[in-house]
Amino acid sequence: MTNPNPFQRRNISYNSAPHRSRLVPSSGFSHLLNPSPDSGSHGNGASSHPGASFSSLDAGSAHSGNAPQGLDEGRGPQQTSGVNLPSFSRAFDMFTSKEPLLAGPNMTYNGFGPTAAANKTGFLAPSYLRGSGYLEKLAEQHKAKLMADREMNMSKGPAVSAFAGSTGSVENRAVTLHNKLPSGIHRGVSLNLIERPPASAELEEDIVSPLPTRWNSDDKDHNVEVFGDGYEVKYTGAKGSDHEAGAIRADNPMPSQCGIYYFEVMVLSKKREDTVIAIGFETRKASLSRFPGWEGESWAYHGNDGKIFASGNNGSRPYGPIYSAGDTVGCLVNFRTNQVLFTRNGDELGMAFKDPIFKDITKSFYPAIGLKRPGDHVWANFGQVPFQFDIDGYMKKQQKLVEDKIRSTDASSLAPPLNDTELIQQLVLQFLQHDGYVGTARAFAEEIHREKQALNMDADVPVEGVNIKDDEDANNRQQIRRAILEGDIDRALTYTNQFYPKVLKENGQVYFRLRCRKFIEMIRREAEINSSLQEAGVKAKTISQAQYRPGSDTQRTYDQHPGGGEDELMTEGEEEMMDTEEDGTEEHSTRPGNYEDETMGMIADGVSDLCQDALQYGQELRDEFKDDSSPEVSKHLNEIFALMAYSNPLEVKEVAHLLDRKGRVAVAEELNSAILTSLGKSSRAALENLFAQTTVLLEDLRKDGGDGAFVTTQSVIDEIPKAQIN
Amino acid sequence: MDIHRRIQSQTSSTSTATPSKHAFETRVAEVKSPKSDINALILDYLLMEGYPKAAEKFQKEANLKPKQEDPTIKARQEIQHAIHVGDIQKAISDLNELDPGILDSDPHLHFSLLRLQLIELIRNARGYDPTAAINFAQEKLAPRAASNEQFLKELEKTMALLIFPPEKLQPDLAALLHSDLRRNTAAQVNEVVLQRHTERREAAIRQLVRMRAWAEASCRSKKRNLPDRIELGLNTGDDSGHEPMVMS
Repeated sequence: MTNPNPFQRRNISYNSAPHRSRLVPSSGFSHLLNPSPDSGSHGNGASSHPGASFSSLDAGSAHSGNAPQGLDEGRGPQQTSGVNLPSFSRAFDMFTSKEPLLAGPNMTYNGFGPTAAANKTGFLAPSYLRGSGYLEKLAEQHKAKLMADREMNMSKGPAVSAFAGSTGSVENRAVTLHNKLPSGIHRGVSLNLIERPPASAELEEDIVSPLPTRWNSDDKDHNVEVFGDGYEVKYTGAKGSDHEAGAIRADNPMPSQCGIYYFEVMVLSKKREDTVIAIGFETRKASLSRFPGWEGESWAYHGNDGKIFASGNNGSRPYGPIYSAGDTVGCLVNFRTNQVLFTRNGDELGMAFKDPIFKDITKSFYPAIGLKRPGDHVWANFGQVPFQFDIDGYMKKQQKLVEDKIRSTDASSLAPPLNDTELIQQLVLQFLQHDGYVGTARAFAEEIHREKQALNMDADVPVEGVNIKDDEDANNRQQIRRAILEGDIDRALTYTNQFYPKVLKENGQVYFRLRCRKFIEMIRREAEINSSLQEAGVKAKTISQAQYRPGSDTQRTYDQHPGGGEDELMTEGEEEMMDTEEDGTEEHSTRPGNYEDETMGMIADGVSDLCQDALQYGQELRDEFKDDSSPEVSKHLNEIFALMAYSNPLEVKEVAHLLDRKGRVAVAEELNSAILTSLGKSSRAALENLFAQTTVLLEDLRKDGGDGAFVTTQSVIDEIPKAQIN
Repeated sequence: MDIHRRIQSQTSSTSTATPSKHAFETRVAEVKSPKSDINALILDYLLMEGYPKAAEKFQKEANLKPKQEDPTIKARQEIQHAIHVGDIQKAISDLNELDPGILDSDPHLHFSLLRLQLIELIRNARGYDPTAAINFAQEKLAPRAASNEQFLKELEKTMALLIFPPEKLQPDLAALLHSDLRRNTAAQVNEVVLQRHTERREAAIRQLVRMRAWAEASCRSKKRNLPDRIELGLNTGDDSGHEPMVMS
């Protein structure tokens, strides 16, 4: 995750914040400009800003964003555990408590120079791209990389593995930039990992290019310097001639696959007069000692005269108001319409450029700024914090346009002569039969039959019924599925061996998954009981403590409860507290004093039995698969055995997903597919084919930033109110 | 047993592809289509389009329960059924019972239903006295058509059914007598009821199917590398192993 507060680090060593707060009247960033002593805290930074939309996609990247560069060489475990943490660094508690090998901020960091660019390696997820196919793909790539590196580093020993997160994403960036950076990549020591080939065997065309994340200190004029986390740029040269300027470009080009690209620049200069700034984008052909817009293959909006410039002086025209210190200017590139517009202090300024050369996808366009006068100073938002302009709303409007286009499409070309309605009925019916939902298929067939009869105008033509055969296979498969969905793995194994004796022998991985799922179900049952036990415990504690200490600190109350020490429990615990405290008193008055204690004792005995069973079964599992040397098997076994380490794994979000009921569905479907395959049937129904085909077609459409970038198959699924798995 | 190799062959991109397969098909095979998503699509469809019995069974068999029970599902099915069989009078009165005010709030819907009712009267009057149909048109439809040009045109077109013999109808007139009009009107009613009760107009699967058609057409117009034909696998040949489904 990218640091939510761009000034946080500077606060340590580069103390220039005060003057800025005066300069920026009521801007959306004012909270960033006035960091209170401990507002560097991760939690505060996020929560103090309503609708703060930055977040990491996984915990791994959150770590990496804070892992220091330049210190990692030769760091052993003895140096860790946050020895270097400055007093304000509660911010990093959440990281250190989970992974003690991660340390706090880099104290030697000076806010200057190329190390700044390498400092942040987290995953950037601008709000307007959430849910887009592009970001999904990028996140997948990022995650795969982290995983691969983590595994890779695991074999290298603990000292390196602590930095798996950061090295992973640094390498990711370095690899993708490899051909683009002209010289001297300053990415810290992690660079030495580049030599090995990329871990994933992804197809070349599947790789999406990353987002611009910061200014590139290796791609700038000598008169400008990059500060802070790579978001800030200052003119450091002397006042030059009118033709001279200092420009800088972002680290990555704007990826057309995202459909829309947007970034904002806030002018931090001290005085409004004599500030000369240009904001726009350009290719690497444009000279860095000239203003963006003046040069070929560069486009920009200039602050001193309000004009826009397209590839040279001839392309200039009056466009918007002038802008200067305290103003925020945004640049919006719409790859779908091939148009560019700018915003000023959150307001749209209208179309600036039409049909630039974006169609030429061999060219790369980088966000760029030009500065001209000593004291010129800007800060850029590449999506790491919320924007001033309502870019999310703009994105939604674009999505709506594409959705409406799709809505007016006739699908009767897909399976002539069927029209949309008939095709969908067929798709549904075929899916139900394919997946062994016999009862549903029959009921549905009856309902369609009735419909067809009603619609039949000619009494002489009989409507043929849909013949759902009493399919023994379908019945068997349905019984097996049912057992798994109910968590009864033993029953499923028995049925499978009885009906399809070969399937489990021939599908080792399915058998393995089932056996593991049984273990997970044991843990799950235990955790559920523990959970209700805890709830009762919290209730009892709350009541008794409320008596002695009215209005006591609920968090402390919670901490005292056994097993309540996990960070993740805090918030949920607090919420629960709100409820239980209200009705708790009432319950207390109607129940005998130690009722709960007794009940808890009985349940606790049951839990330890369950725990024993799970332990024993776990050992059996280990013995059974001990000869299997594959990393997948041992990895998964380790993963699920680790569940035993938590008193309530359901509440620990890092592992809770392993226990999720969704896992039953996954195992059930894996087994169903294996059975279908063994019967010589296709493992996918037509509806699933259609879904997957659409996903791939959209991927292809997305490449040039056209309509396909604005819709996903997932967005259709997300329209459905979430159903629950019983 | 070598689980490692098996897991790998399941997940790796290349080993499952046969050389004859188009790159597109290989990519499709790799896309995950989570069953939970497909199940959600199915349940949503059954509930939205009004198949209560199938929806109930599916909730049991797939162990799902919708976020909210929709109390209108059975009524919606019956109203649609009434329209399908041509009993528009019953449909209108059931609709008023389910949601009083729905017809007043949506003049287009109301007109569609009344016009369909007129068509059914004309259909039933074939060879007999058309007075009832004419009276109905004058009483119920003419006042509405006076204020709306589109209604007026549709009313005129419908009245033309009385003049021409059935075997000499123009295609656009013949379409009025086709069952598709009943089906579409029923769907229209269903959508309006849904919108008023759930804020959504149609089942998600409809947009997905259209998206598939749209995406393929767009890719082809952009000359993307696709196989000549992308099979859905619905026409159940020998390879899929399904019983052929008999549907009219």
